This record gives sequence, C-alpha cells and structure tokens, in this order.
Amino acid sequence: MGQRRPRIGEVLLDVSDVSLSFGGVKALHRVSFQAREREVCAIIGPNGAGKSSLLNIVNGVYQPSAGTISFGGVQRRSMSPREAALGGIARTFQNIALFKGMSVLDNIMTGRDAKMHSSLLAQALYWGPAQREEIEHRRHVEKLIDFLQIEHVRKTPVGRLPYGLQKRVELARALAAEPRLLLLDEPMAGMNVEEKQDMCRFILDVNDEFGTTILLIEHDMAVVMDLADRVVVLDYGRKIADGTPEEVRQNPEVIAAYLGVPTEADREALAQGAS
Amino acid sequence: MYSLVALGFVLIFKASGVFNFAQGAMVLFAALTFVSLEEHGLPRWGALLATLAIMLGLALVIERVVLRPLVNQPAISLLMATIGLTFCLEGLAQGVWGSVVKGLDLGIPDVPFDVKGILISQFDLFAAAIAGFLVTVLALFFQYTRVGRALRAVADDHQAALSLGIPLQTVWAVVWAAAGAVALVAGLLWGSRLGVQFALSVITLKALPVLILGGFTSIAGAIVGGLLVGASEKLAEVYLGPVLGGGIENWFPYVLALLFLLVRPEGLFGEKHIDRV
Repeated sequence: MGQRRPRIGEVLLDVSDVSLSFGGVKALHRVSFQAREREVCAIIGPNGAGKSSLLNIVNGVYQPSAGTISFGGVQRRSMSPREAALGGIARTFQNIALFKGMSVLDNIMTGRDAKMHSSLLAQALYWGPAQREEIEHRRHVEKLIDFLQIEHVRKTPVGRLPYGLQKRVELARALAAEPRLLLLDEPMAGMNVEEKQDMCRFILDVNDEFGTTILLIEHDMAVVMDLADRVVVLDYGRKIADGTPEEVRQNPEVIAAYLGVPTEADREALAQGAS
Repeated sequence: MYSLVALGFVLIFKASGVFNFAQGAMVLFAALTFVSLEEHGLPRWGALLATLAIMLGLALVIERVVLRPLVNQPAISLLMATIGLTFCLEGLAQGVWGSVVKGLDLGIPDVPFDVKGILISQFDLFAAAIAGFLVTVLALFFQYTRVGRALRAVADDHQAALSLGIPLQTVWAVVWAAAGAVALVAGLLWGSRLGVQFALSVITLKALPVLILGGFTSIAGAIVGGLLVGASEKLAEVYLGPVLGGGIENWFPYVLALLFLLVRPEGLFGEKHIDRV
C-alpha cells in the first residue's frame, strides 16, 4: 500500500472531540480523528465500540452531543443527512438499505437524485431539459454499472439478487452521487471469501479511479490491513489507537481490546490455582 | 367508481408506505368544497380550479403539520395520525360548508343504453374512462420520472432515501397533492351520484375490500378490485338477496374480502412477501 501514499492530500474530514450519548449511555466519548483526501481510512473495534455511531454522526443521522465536525474546510456542529448528501458524503448501510422493489438501474438512478434539478412540471411532461437531464445521468449510471460489473442484472428488482450483488448495487448507488467522501458500513459483512476479494478490489478501484476518500468499518482484520492507509481503533466509545495498519497491529492497547487483558482478579485466580 | 377511491389509497400507500385513512375524508372535503364554491356563484371551471388549489394547499399543510414530525416513525404512528386527520377534515368540511346534503349535477347524461339486453349506464362508463385516464397518467409518472423514482425510494426506506439527499418533504407533498387531486375527481363523480353528504366519507370505506381484493400496492389491482366489488355486491343483492333478506350490498364486499384474505392475503396483484429465514 506504500506506493499509494503520495497521492494522499489535505485533510478532508476533521472530527474533533465528538461525544454522543443515548440517554445515559455514552456511545462516543471525545473522539477525534482526521481523514485526508484520497485516503482509505478504516474504523475498527469490538462490537458496541461506537463505530456505526461515528459513521452516523459524519453523515448527519445523529447529532453529536458535543464536539464539531468539519468537512471540506466547513465546520459545523450538526447537519441533516440531506445536507451531508448534497455536500458530497455518500454511504452504504450495515444492513443493506436498497429499495427492494425497484430495479438495479432505478436504485442507482436515485443515487443521482441530488444532482438533478429539472422541475416537477418538466418531468411530468418529459419535456426538453428534463429529458436531456435524464439521459445524461443515465449515461453516467451505465458507466458505473460497467465499472462494478453488474450489467447482467440491471433490470432485475434488487430484492431478488443474492446478498453479495446487493452489496455491490448499494456501493454503486452511493457512487452515483460522485461523493468526495464515501462511508462504508461493513461492506463485506456476510460475504464469502470470493465476494470479499471482489469487493476489496472494487473499493481500491474506486479510490484509485475517482480519488474518493473512503471511511470504512470492517471486522475482517485481513481485509483492513490490505485496504486501509490508516486505521482508527475504538473501544467502549473511546479512540484507543490511530495510525498505519502496522502501528496499530502492534499497539498493546489494541491487542488488549481484541484479546482481553488479565485483570487483577484474574491474576489472583491464576496465582491461587498455581499454589 | 370504487376504484377511484381505492386509487387514492394505493397512491399514498405505494409512495409513503402509509395507509391513508383520511382518503375518504379528503373525498368528502373536495366534493363539499367544490359544490359550495359553485353555490357561492363561482363558474364551474373556477370552482374546479379553486378546489384543486385548496386540495394542493391542504396537502402542503398536512405534510408540514402532520407528517414532518413523524419522519422515521413506525408506520403505525402515521396510520394513527391519518385517522386523526380523518376526523379533523370531516369536521372542518362540515364546519365550513355546512352539513346539508347538496346535489351536484355535472351535466353528464345518465341515460342507460342497451347492449343486447344489458343496460349500461353512460355515467358509469364516463367514470371508468376517467379512472382509466388517471391511472395511465399516474403509472407513467411513477415509472418514468425522477420524482416518481424518488417517491418509490422514499416508500421503501426513509433512512436510505435521506442519505441520498432525496428531499423527503417535497416527495410527501407531491404524493399528498396527487392523492388530493384523485380525491377531488372521486368526490365529484360520487357526489353527483349520491349527493354531496357526510355518507361519502363512509362509502369510501368500501375501498378497503377493494384493496384487499386487488392488493395494496397495485394500481391495476385497485381497478380490478373496484370492478369486482361493484359487480359482486350488485349480483349478490339480486341473486342472494331474496334468500338472505335485503341489504346484502352493504356487507357483502367485506365478507368477500375476508374470504379472500384466507386464500390470497396479498391480493390479486399485490407484492408477495418472501421472508428470508
């Protein structure tokens, strides 16, 4: 991954001191990190560490109870998912959130909705500008379909596709918005090895070809080590490590969070068992 | 005739996943407004346009006041909200325009003509033509325009639609406006049949068996279901009436719907749900 490093640019997303609580539960506690342009940044951590919450804050689904987020140099305390989308943040969901009754093509076209502007009346009459707009965007979507190799299913309702392909369609829908920042919430969950490899390749291709900054959550450590330029580790809502995959892998706190550390009581029990 | 009302239900159900209980009240509201405006001396076209404008305005108000606070809430809350809306609209319509039964003559001749011994009502044919026209327009709109696509997207998954930057508010306003327009047409046709009165809003309950027969998500289903309900209740009245006593017309569609639920719960044209286990 070293050879891709020089491409990485300015800070695109700056999350600083963000906290989030649900009632009495603190999901996130003063988390700060940055993602730079064209970087692939992975967020890892045990279940319930606050990874998805963090993603949801970046995309405006949750409002942080404290802290700020700046994206592309604009700082704000809170924004709506729609504002985030218009600003160039696209995402996929942990549990696929496609429009199941609609065809693959239509699903991806909805991803371009925010880019289309023709008036309701013009659309209703399918008149001049609206028609041109539809055709132009359709062309872009066809390119994406080629790119992700889902030509053979483009007219199929998504609900009928196998899981791995659905994940790919969801990626296509997110890409259709030509985002600057792409949030992927466990893009490889529930996939077999082959599908995972395909997905990895697509993610890297996206990063290379469109220069999209990618922030992803993933559980498969092998995948993370392969993909990410940088890894942020969360545990119980706190950031415990942040660095290159190699650095993070050797960080004792990370190892402890993943494998568990013996507590005082454990040590006593061990000692007693030995005596 | 029943199809027209059912259409309004299907429209909102398809587009927002909400069963709009207030559709019947909207039909009543539209018809009453139209008739009263005409009584106040507006010419027919003026009254029609004014009512249309009022229905669109109503849609905007509903979206802002009722729906917007309920984004991302479970469908049942929205359903309850529309039930509440029903009473508000019924009250409002009668409060403003009075509850006297009003006649409405659209000037469509209702002379039945005779096709090989079967009497066909001209008026019903006209209503059917209008329903057909509306359906074609709406189906095309849903299928081929960007807003139509956005509508279907929102119906499927609020959260995902929001994350794509689809403006939920606009989409809902469009749906309710369309439902308002359908309600106006239905209100005029029904109103000229039965007189514009409170019962209009009850008659629209017949849309329920229509929807159960046809399927909640299918526009074609709404039409076929409407025909089935209309035909079967009349046939039942004629053939079963003497045996079971009169008044079958009023409850027969519901029995039919119940039977149908046992055999084919998704309706004739509804989407079949297959759950992954």
